[in-house]
Amino acid sequence: MPEATERRPYDQPTEELGPGQTSYTSITDKITSVVLTPHTPIQWFIVVAIGLCFVGLLQIAIAYLLYEGVGIWGLNVPVGWGFAIINFVWWIGIGHAGTLISAVLLLFRQKWRTSINRSAEAMTIFAVLCAGMFPVLHTGRPWLALYWLFPYPNSMAIWPQFRSPLIWDVFAVGTYLTVSLLFWGVGLIPDFATYRDKARNLLTKRIFGFLSLGWRGSAIHWERYEMASLILAGLSTPLVLSVHSVVSFDFAVSIIPGWHTTIFPPYFVAGAIYAGFAMVLTLMLPLRALYGLHDFITDRHLDNMGKVMLVAGMIVGYGYFMEQFMAWYSASIYENFLMDNRMFGPYGGSYWALLTCNIFVPQLLWSKRVRTSPYLIFMVSMFINVGMWLERFIIVVGSMHRDYMPSSWDMYSGTIWDWALYLGTMGFFLLAFFLFVRAWPLIAIHEIRTLLPTGKKH
Amino acid sequence: MIEEIQRHSEALAPRFDGYRRRALAIGLIGIAATVFGYLTDHQQFFESYLLGFTYWVCMPVGCLGVLMIHHLGGGRWGFAIRRMLEAGASTMPVMFILGLPILAGMHDLFPWTHTEAVANDEVLTHKLPYLNSTFFIIRYVAYFAIWTAMAMLLTRWSVQQDQTQETWPTRRMQILSGPGIVLLSLLGTFAGTDWLMSLEPHWFSTIFCAIYILGMALMTWAFMTLVGVPLSKHQPLDVLLTNERLRDLGTMMLGFVMLWAYTSFSQLLIIWSGNLPEEITWYYTRLQGGWLYLGYALIGFHFAVPFLLLLSSRVKSHLRILIVVASGLMFMRLVDLYWITAPAFRDHDGGVLQSVALTPHWLDLAAPIGLGGIWVFFFFGQLKKRPLVPSNDPRFDYGALAAEAQEHGHHG
Repeated sequence: MPEATERRPYDQPTEELGPGQTSYTSITDKITSVVLTPHTPIQWFIVVAIGLCFVGLLQIAIAYLLYEGVGIWGLNVPVGWGFAIINFVWWIGIGHAGTLISAVLLLFRQKWRTSINRSAEAMTIFAVLCAGMFPVLHTGRPWLALYWLFPYPNSMAIWPQFRSPLIWDVFAVGTYLTVSLLFWGVGLIPDFATYRDKARNLLTKRIFGFLSLGWRGSAIHWERYEMASLILAGLSTPLVLSVHSVVSFDFAVSIIPGWHTTIFPPYFVAGAIYAGFAMVLTLMLPLRALYGLHDFITDRHLDNMGKVMLVAGMIVGYGYFMEQFMAWYSASIYENFLMDNRMFGPYGGSYWALLTCNIFVPQLLWSKRVRTSPYLIFMVSMFINVGMWLERFIIVVGSMHRDYMPSSWDMYSGTIWDWALYLGTMGFFLLAFFLFVRAWPLIAIHEIRTLLPTGKKH
Repeated sequence: MIEEIQRHSEALAPRFDGYRRRALAIGLIGIAATVFGYLTDHQQFFESYLLGFTYWVCMPVGCLGVLMIHHLGGGRWGFAIRRMLEAGASTMPVMFILGLPILAGMHDLFPWTHTEAVANDEVLTHKLPYLNSTFFIIRYVAYFAIWTAMAMLLTRWSVQQDQTQETWPTRRMQILSGPGIVLLSLLGTFAGTDWLMSLEPHWFSTIFCAIYILGMALMTWAFMTLVGVPLSKHQPLDVLLTNERLRDLGTMMLGFVMLWAYTSFSQLLIIWSGNLPEEITWYYTRLQGGWLYLGYALIGFHFAVPFLLLLSSRVKSHLRILIVVASGLMFMRLVDLYWITAPAFRDHDGGVLQSVALTPHWLDLAAPIGLGGIWVFFFFGQLKKRPLVPSNDPRFDYGALAAEAQEHGHHG
């Protein structure tokens, strides 16, 4: 065959690894230095302090809820589901980016995932924990929740309603949390061992030694590790689709206009990925600035995450469009009323705000300059975070506040306790995430080493 | 380099001519049978013809969509099949002409064309601004005009890319493909509404058109596999369509089989749970008698069997199995569309629950075979026109790949 033609520089992607990292040592030192140091940046303390304040708020909100009951929330008839389900769906959705990054991108052999997968997985787990609080607290008596939710053989022959998607949720979210924890935990083992070997303080050495489960880095360890990662990735991949599909069934299997529509499962999944990537960026960009991780989280990452958000956002937009088009096409007076009410009814403002946050502003992501500018993409992500919450608000409250019977129509708004609980989970999320950053390896060291030119050959 | 690819591609021309002759013969026999069917039973003719048309139109549109995804995402599988995708997309005008009988048969196919029935039906009167004959024809022309324009632009730039070292053709293909894929999804949605959903004009489902579009992509992957496997044994595609790349095609089929099953199941579950009269009627006829067994066949052979086979990478690397799965999926796409279209014609009263017998007609096979023969004839005609491997794509270096393949000694 003829000579290889000269390659022209075109659209050369930025490397997954910045120019500052040239050797195994520099990578290991950089990442371990975040944890194995007596010095902690002052900003970290500020964030943790804010997180702690809101966790305090969370505790007060929960305590008063348990004392007084769910009556302290803004629920009424016909709006029997309010902030609890909105926030549950919002948090669960956020978790999806972690699973997508760690599992799906692993199967697709996308190298750029390596520097963000660990922290995205941590984000998944904390987000699922936040999500789980809402349905459990919504039962009013959380200590009985397991008894109500889990099917087990009992002398009264009482079973949960297996046709209800709420019980499917218990299984879907339970599986999701288990598999995510396993995936995260398995990935951490080799890095714990690195920390164990690098630590000077005996106690730190012992703790990481215990956590690393006797990892010695032998060939057989690595072989089993790779196998376990692949199996867990294979198990996680369907979960990306299934969890939020089941969440969408919570709504779609009913016959309430605005809920009962067949596009819901894929549209919810796309929305979850959308919200999740926005949250990953919301956390990563400040973290990158704080710890100087520009060599690990490069423009390439921002660009790729921006593209994923653009695609997911377009699918979400398709969902909005189909809801509108089919509401008209169906010629059903209820569907038509719902759409009219959604746009111009009492909550019309929220709908236009939703379109602005989720559809109009993210169109900026078509531009590569926006995608690679940390400030602009951070701004777009914040819009999406808000927009995805509004979407669930529109779906839940917007669909229920106008019942089939005009005599039951009512308005809904969250009370101070609704907001306290919601802000409280945000504080919990922030606190958990920053504790993780300070104490555990936030980037998979052994994986990022494979990005080095010396590592790539093998 | 380019001359070499050109030479190898031209060497394959006799092979393509062989395919074309056979396809044309089959196509003409099928069309002759279909015309004979028209003379004997013109109602049945239109029904079967619509099946054939909605089936084969998936090929050019699906090729165009996958081509755009390739331009946006890159990836070696895309370079390997790009010329086939371009050839498929270039057949758009052929499909436009082959679809014209649908417009002639509108009155026999779509209940909303019956002015009297519409006047007495509130729902259909409401839909009149969209579902009326004039707008239907305008839309039909518009879909094909836009699809053809996009296909022509992408093909032209691809040819220009072969001839120049400049990067502008590449850039233009990428710039068109972003908004292009958005436009394609929207047009596919309206087309699915027009040609399939409006057969039962009272029924609606927001995911229905997405399922049709996913089916188009699935069919494209299956067809690419069927054409790609024999071509992988010859220069110039041998270095590109390696067993790994062919396995990628299998993985794509797996992915879209799963997406098809996921969306189809979601639609069924949501409509079944809601059990609303305006929605469930669609499934009512399709889950009775013979149609139910056809539904089971769809679960088995449009999902379970290909899913299990494609899941294992060892099975996927047997080219013969890959061919069998791809052919099976091509056939099951037809069965799926038959299951969607045929029961619609048995229930023109709209909204009346009734079970209808599964009575396949020989035209239901003759029409798709006839249209398919003609389409395949034009597909290979297009494929013959250009070298089988694009040159000068700055994201991809064929020369280096070929040199590497030669070095490793697994050439030809």
